[in-house]
Amino acid sequence: MPLVRKPPGPPPTTAPASDLAAMLQLLAGGSDEERWSAARAAADVPDSVAALGEALARETSTRVRQAIFTSLARIATPQSVDVVRGYLRSDDAHARTDACDALIAMGEAAWPYLGTLLRDHDADVRALACGLVRNMPSEVAVPLFCELLNLEPDANVCAAAIDALAEIGGPEALPVLERCHERFRATPFLAFAITIAADRIRAQSASPRA
Amino acid sequence: MTFTQAKRYYVERRVVERMTATGSDSFEDYFGRLRSDVYGEIEHFVNAFTVNETYFYREEHQLACLSSDLLPARLQMKPPGEPIRIWSVPCSTGEEPYSIAIWLLENWPLVDQHDIEIVGSDIDTNAVSAARAGMYVKRAFMRLPPYLLEKYFEPEQDDAWKIIDDLRQSVHFTTANIVDRTQTNAHGRFDVIFCRNVLIYFDETSRRRAAENLYENLFPGGFICLGHTESMSRISPLFDVARFADAIVYQRPPE
Repeated sequence: MPLVRKPPGPPPTTAPASDLAAMLQLLAGGSDEERWSAARAAADVPDSVAALGEALARETSTRVRQAIFTSLARIATPQSVDVVRGYLRSDDAHARTDACDALIAMGEAAWPYLGTLLRDHDADVRALACGLVRNMPSEVAVPLFCELLNLEPDANVCAAAIDALAEIGGPEALPVLERCHERFRATPFLAFAITIAADRIRAQSASPRA
Repeated sequence: MTFTQAKRYYVERRVVERMTATGSDSFEDYFGRLRSDVYGEIEHFVNAFTVNETYFYREEHQLACLSSDLLPARLQMKPPGEPIRIWSVPCSTGEEPYSIAIWLLENWPLVDQHDIEIVGSDIDTNAVSAARAGMYVKRAFMRLPPYLLEKYFEPEQDDAWKIIDDLRQSVHFTTANIVDRTQTNAHGRFDVIFCRNVLIYFDETSRRRAAENLYENLFPGGFICLGHTESMSRISPLFDVARFADAIVYQRPPE
């Protein structure tokens, strides 16, 4: 039989750095492979958040950036949340997406910051925050979206919140949607989105639950 | 699928699993996700009820893709004489790695010209022991042509069949948790990894860790096959999508 039975081959060349100092050195100035490996190993060292943040700021390799974001997500401390949420303002769409993914992966560690992000001065950040809030438990997320919709001046941010409410909203969201509809009567796409969301919520509320 | 009252606990357990996997705090929350099919939850929900139903030649189209496209592509990139390494992880009770072995022996014309190393790994030590034993009951053969059953298995008592020794010794089994980098690193690099129907059960962070581990376990240009409802693109941008006639798989970009 031509199939061979052998013990597993040699480990990959990306062996983790053995100590913190060596790891930080590689993170700062190693090859692509070394920086990737050091970034991954850094997740097991909570003190490495500052070094990961500095590395992320200068990193040009997409792959290594991914590893840094994953490690920051794994560390999931207020410090690592701070580093990641800064990238929601990045001019680089990939960095913004990576930051959103990392914040979602952080789960509860990121939740305390999401309300603030929904009130950010930058409408783009508020729209991204809607995508993050959507991943919270519905009993927390729905009130946040309702609060936002009562005041939000930007139609695109409202649209992001309405889209989420269409999936997770209950009857309590209907009056909020109605008020939003009044405010944006002159914005056809939003009026359409509100109608769809409200119909969906009503249909779900009317159907029997298991 | 029909579940009688007697299966109530079975159903309940899987619903709870899906609630945990989706981070739903209440049944209402989860039911809303299911009804709205958030992130393809309906498929995940259905899969949760079939996940343990593994059998020989499951998702045969990926095996066809292995012999017709993946291995030829790998041979073009590999130095001559290097063995071809294939990893089935998680391998459950061994049906998948043995299927790969049988498929290649039966369908890949170059099988005699290359050293092929097949490794099966699972986090469940009982599953790994069962895989090493290579004993299966009738249900495992529902997709395997009868002549292959006759050729590669020997009948045992109680309607069970055992893999022939030659084939059993051609697959190396180990214990591995794909989220643990130390464990995955120890297995070395592979040309093709079959990692089907497991990533969907991890939380976001574990999924990313597993994807990065598997990336390290692939040679540049190596391929990873996921379950038909899974998408690596939703987990990590590290891999390229590779579309072939028989299957869509993911590839570590060649260097």
